[in-house]
Amino acid sequence: MSIFSIKDVHKSFTNGEVEEEILKGVNLSLQRGEVTALIGASGSGKSTLLTIAAGLQPASNGQIIFKNENIAAYNQEQTRKIRAKEFGFVFQSSHLVPFLTIEEQLLLMLDVAETTLNKQEQQQEINKMLKTVDLEHRKHAYPSSLSGGEKQRVAIARAIIHQPKILFADEPTANLDSKRSKEVMELIQELTKTLDITTLVVTHDEEMLAYVDHIIKMKDGIVMGQGV
Amino acid sequence: MNIAWKEMKKNKAKFLILGSIVFLISLLTFIISGLANGLSDDNASLIKDLPEGQFYMSEDAEQTYNLSTIDNETQDQILSEHTDSTAFSIQRGFVNDNDDKQHGVVFVTSTDSNLFKNVDSGEIILDRSLKDDGIKVGDTLTNNQFDDTFVVKGFVAQKKYSHSPVAYINTADYKQMYRTEEMQLIFIPDANDSLTFSGLESFSNKAFLQTIPSYSAEQMSLNMIVWFLVVISGMLFAIFFYMMNVQKIGLYGILKAIGVKTSTLFKMMWTQMLVITSIALVLSVLLSQLFNQVAPEGMPFSLSIMTTIQLAIVFFVIGFIGATLSGLQIRKVGPLQAIQQGEV
Ligand SMILES: Nc1ncnc2c1ncn2[C@@H]1O[C@H](COP(=O)(O)OP(=O)(O)O)[C@@H](O)[C@H]1O
Ligand SMILES: [Mg+2]
Repeated sequence: MSIFSIKDVHKSFTNGEVEEEILKGVNLSLQRGEVTALIGASGSGKSTLLTIAAGLQPASNGQIIFKNENIAAYNQEQTRKIRAKEFGFVFQSSHLVPFLTIEEQLLLMLDVAETTLNKQEQQQEINKMLKTVDLEHRKHAYPSSLSGGEKQRVAIARAIIHQPKILFADEPTANLDSKRSKEVMELIQELTKTLDITTLVVTHDEEMLAYVDHIIKMKDGIVMGQGV
Repeated sequence: MNIAWKEMKKNKAKFLILGSIVFLISLLTFIISGLANGLSDDNASLIKDLPEGQFYMSEDAEQTYNLSTIDNETQDQILSEHTDSTAFSIQRGFVNDNDDKQHGVVFVTSTDSNLFKNVDSGEIILDRSLKDDGIKVGDTLTNNQFDDTFVVKGFVAQKKYSHSPVAYINTADYKQMYRTEEMQLIFIPDANDSLTFSGLESFSNKAFLQTIPSYSAEQMSLNMIVWFLVVISGMLFAIFFYMMNVQKIGLYGILKAIGVKTSTLFKMMWTQMLVITSIALVLSVLLSQLFNQVAPEGMPFSLSIMTTIQLAIVFFVIGFIGATLSGLQIRKVGPLQAIQQGEV
C-alpha cells in the first residue's frame, strides 16, 4: 500500500461567470522512497495538482490519503500541522526568508516543525544537512549573496531538514542552467533514497526524467498513464 | 527562534526610521504637554496648589469672583464652623519699586490660615519671579491706592495667578486699597459639593479654575494639540506597519506554506512594534525630563513623571491598535500567494 495517494480529485476555478474544471478526477499514488515525476504540457494542471496534494489549496472534490487518513477533510489548523511536520516544499523560486542566514532558515524550519531535538542536536543536524547540499561554507550567508543554484540547494535543505515524509517540488530546476539542474535533481534523488522520503516532482524538462523512478503524465486535467 | 528580532537586525534602517519618528512625535507631545501644564501653573498655581475642597462666591457674582462679595456675617459663621477654612480675595494691581519701576502683580489676602501666606500690615511677600526682576528682601514698595508702604518680607516659589506674580498682603491693607469691607471668596478644604450655604455658589477646584478668564481656552487648545499628536502617531503606526506588511505578503505566504502559524506572524509584528516603541518612548521620556530640569527660568514648563508615563502608555495602546489593525491583512494571505507571485 502506498504512503500517499490521490483519489478522484476534482478542482474547478471560476473566472468571472465561467467555471472551468482544471482537474477532472485525478488518481495517483506515490511509492515510499521513490521519486515520482509529474509531466505534461503547460497549463495541464500539474501545479494545481501538486499544491492540492500538498495541502496548500483545497480540492473541490476527492480524497487525499496520507497515512491512511483523508487529509482533504482536515481543517486549516490540521492541514497546517501536516505541512509543518510531514511535508517539505521546493518551488521554482527558492522563497527563502531574506533576513535569515542559511543556518537560521534551517533553524526556523526545525522550529516550525516543533522538533524534539535539543539545541546541540539541531546544530549537528543542520551541519550535516549543509554538508549534504555542499553549503557548509555559506552557513552564515544571507540569501541575497547566493547564486541561483545555491539558493535552490538551501531551499531543498530547508524542505527536508525536519525529516518530512513527503517532498513536493514544483519545477525546482526551471530557473537553473542544465548543469545546475542536474545537480539539483541528483540531490533530490539521493536524499529521497538515503532519508527514505517520498517525492513528487513536477518537471517539463525531459533530461530530468533520468533521475526519477516513476513518471506520471497529465493531459487536460486527467492522468494519462503511470509509467516507469 | 526570534524572527522578529532577526528582521530588525537585518533591516536596521527601516526600523530606525520608524523609531525616530515615534521618538520625535512622542517627544513633541511630551514637550507640548509640559508647556500646557507650565502655562496652567503660570495661570493658576495659586489655586492649583490648594488641596481639594470647595470654593464659594456670592450667587449674584454670576461666577465672576471679582464681582463676588461675601457679607461678614456669613463669613464669620462659616469660618467658625469650619476651622481650617479661609476667606480670601484676589485683585490685580501694581507695585512700584525703589527706582519707581512698576511691576504688575496679583494681590492676595486671606484670613488667618496656612493655605495662603499671612503678613502683618505694611508687609508684603512676593512670588520669586519678582526677585529675578531685582526686588530684594527689605525693599520698600508703594502702590498708588495705598497710603502707606510695603516692606518686602520674603519670596515664595511659583505662586502665579492669571500669568502674574502673586503678592500677599494683609487684609487690613487690602481693605483700605480697594475700599471694601468684604472678602470675595471662601475656601473650605476637604469639603464636597454637598456642603452648601444660602446665597453662595460652590465650586470644586476644577470648576473654579474654569472661572479664571483665559484658563480654559488656553488649556483646551494645548490639550487638543496633545491629543492630535497622539492620534497622528497612532495613524503613523498603522500606515507604517501596513506598508511593511504589504511588502511582506509574499514572505508571509511562504512562511504560512511551510507551516508557520498566523499567530506567530502577529507576534512577530507585535514584538517589533513593542521593541521600537519602548526604545523610542524611553528615550523621549528621558529627554523630556531632562528638558524639564534645564528649561530656562522664564519658560513656563512643568512636566511631571506621572503625566509623561500616562502619555507613554497611551502611545503604547495606540501603537498596538494601529499595528494590529494594519496587521489584519496577514490573516488573509494565502500560502499560495507567494508561490504564484514568484521571487520573494
Ligand atoms: N487560482 C486560479 N484561479 C483560476 N485559474 C487558475 C488558478 N490556478 C490555476 N489556474 C488555471 O488552471 C490551469 C492549470 O494551471 P497549472 O496547474 O498552473 O498548470 P501547469 O502547472 O501544468 O502549467 C491554467 O489554465 C491556469 O490558468
Ligand atoms: Mg506549473
